[in-house]
Amino acid sequence: MIQVSELRKEFKLNKKQRQELQTKEKTTTAVNHISFKCEPGRVFSLLGPNGAGKTTILRMLATIFAPTKGEITICNLNAKTNAAEIRNKIGFLTGSTGLYSRLTPHELIQYFAALYKVPNNIFNKRAENLYSLLDMHDFKHKRIGKLSTGMKQKVSICRTMIHDPEVVIFDEPTSGLDVITAENIIALIRDCKSQGKTVIFSSHIMSEVDLLCDDIAIIHKGMLLFNDTMDSFRKQMTSKNLTAEFIQIIENS
Amino acid sequence: MILTIFLKELKDTLRDRRTIMMMVVIPILIFPLILNVFIGISSSFEKDAANKTITIGVIGEKNGFISNTLSKTPEQLGKCKIKFYADSASLIKDLQIDSIQMGIYSSKTFEASLIEKKPTPIICYFNGTDIGIKSRAEKYISYIEEKALNKRFKELKLEPSKVKPIVPLYVNIASDKEMLGKIAGGILPYIFIAFGFIGCMYPAIDLFTGEKERGTIETLLTTPISRLQILFGKMGVVVLSGLLASSFALIGLFLSIEMMDVIKNEQLLNVVHSIMTIRFILTLFLLLIPLTIFFAGLMIPIAVYAKTFKEAQSIITPLNIVVVLPAMIGFFPGIELNLSTACIPVINVVLSTKELIAGTLNLNYLLISFLVMGFLALISVFISYKQFGKESNILT
Repeated sequence: MIQVSELRKEFKLNKKQRQELQTKEKTTTAVNHISFKCEPGRVFSLLGPNGAGKTTILRMLATIFAPTKGEITICNLNAKTNAAEIRNKIGFLTGSTGLYSRLTPHELIQYFAALYKVPNNIFNKRAENLYSLLDMHDFKHKRIGKLSTGMKQKVSICRTMIHDPEVVIFDEPTSGLDVITAENIIALIRDCKSQGKTVIFSSHIMSEVDLLCDDIAIIHKGMLLFNDTMDSFRKQMTSKNLTAEFIQIIENS
Repeated sequence: MILTIFLKELKDTLRDRRTIMMMVVIPILIFPLILNVFIGISSSFEKDAANKTITIGVIGEKNGFISNTLSKTPEQLGKCKIKFYADSASLIKDLQIDSIQMGIYSSKTFEASLIEKKPTPIICYFNGTDIGIKSRAEKYISYIEEKALNKRFKELKLEPSKVKPIVPLYVNIASDKEMLGKIAGGILPYIFIAFGFIGCMYPAIDLFTGEKERGTIETLLTTPISRLQILFGKMGVVVLSGLLASSFALIGLFLSIEMMDVIKNEQLLNVVHSIMTIRFILTLFLLLIPLTIFFAGLMIPIAVYAKTFKEAQSIITPLNIVVVLPAMIGFFPGIELNLSTACIPVINVVLSTKELIAGTLNLNYLLISFLVMGFLALISVFISYKQFGKESNILT
């Protein structure tokens, strides 16, 4: 479970950034007054246009960034005081995740399993299952640099799931991927949900959200505009389709 | 966990051709290649210069003392031809266009002065840009002077030994090892400092900036390991690469000495062999380790700050000059390791190594040098940690 309350994130601006943004302020607020809750066995979607603050929120959930204000609780652990324990319980996947091109998929998965302290016998079983599930046997010993985008994404999925995380965070996971590769990700999100994991994913593609999520939060310019279940979002809809409704909410904000 | 990261980064680094080139191939091959070319060219020049018949322009009598003596010079002084000139202007002109290689001017009263047993000057012209000609000219002039002196001794019926009451003998109390250390010892620290720096450079950029550029750092930061552990694991590989590059450069140098007949003097070769002791290598690494950590600590904050490989390279490359230039201090004789120089980073390592080769290393100064470098290494690690911990630095 993820619980977020009154989350705020400010970034310091250097001289160059101040000039670019044409501001005299020394900080910029990327995220402000964000509160939401993600339940296990449900898929929570963070929806917003580019630059809305989705990635910043997810990076704070993954404890890469420290919040300026507010509280994050993941699996009943406070993100400020138990960052390492939280990282042990989460899997993080982005559409732009890079991989070590000079390693083979197996070496990479083994490396991450070691970082998550997965015991060898469990690693062997889990890796074998994931390789079969993702059809990775043919390329698991080839250098990652020589793999196709789809194969690389499978490696990323395997890397995310190797420590069997309780919470899975996806940051625009299908961004830039072809339909077949994106389908692997969608299947993974569904699997995670059916296994009772807490899933949060960010997107700006409404059709993807419609297909997968149970709960939705719409954010724009770092502020929360809507937060409820997907069913309730559909009921409140005044536009002809979900995309039009999303655009209307953004424009009215 | 640090070991897990270290081993993974090492594997990743060793699979990078660019790093392998900078860390192993270039350091180990550069000295055999440079020395091979250098020795080949210089020995061929030496051979050519020794066999070359030079033309000496003479202003003076055709059957005079100078021309007669020059025509009977022994072969070991090199073959020569004589060309007579009436004035110095045409002689200098021919010297400038290399139609003659040296010129000797004696005054019209030269022969008479010889007979009258008076001292008389002769002027020797040569072109200083013609390598080796000055020493050859000195040999010819000494030969002429020696012949004139012997002639005069005969005429005066004097024994040469009787007019030379003092025979000075110069005794150098410095050992060959000491001489080698003080004069040529500067090259060794320069090599390992230059290659240590280059060896650290590529892995530092690849493991920090490269990780940002490839987008792999984000996933690494979501694992339960701390940033300090990540930093130490990666830094270990950067330091090891620097140490390996330095070691391979030294191996290359010693292989060149052993296999390419660089040192022709057997006594000197024995001195070089006597330097290569376990104690010498251990002491060298005692200095190299904090130095390489210091280099890594200088580069990592830059590599962490830079957004692209190119940006990191463009900042670190000029730093190379700032750091490696002081290493050239070892080439200047007379600069010694003392309390002041032992406190100056890089220079203290250079001078300590020189003293180590010469066998005159003061252990107190070695300790000070080690402590200074160790302290700087710690500071640089701390700065790296601070930079690596900054949110604005670790993600693009």
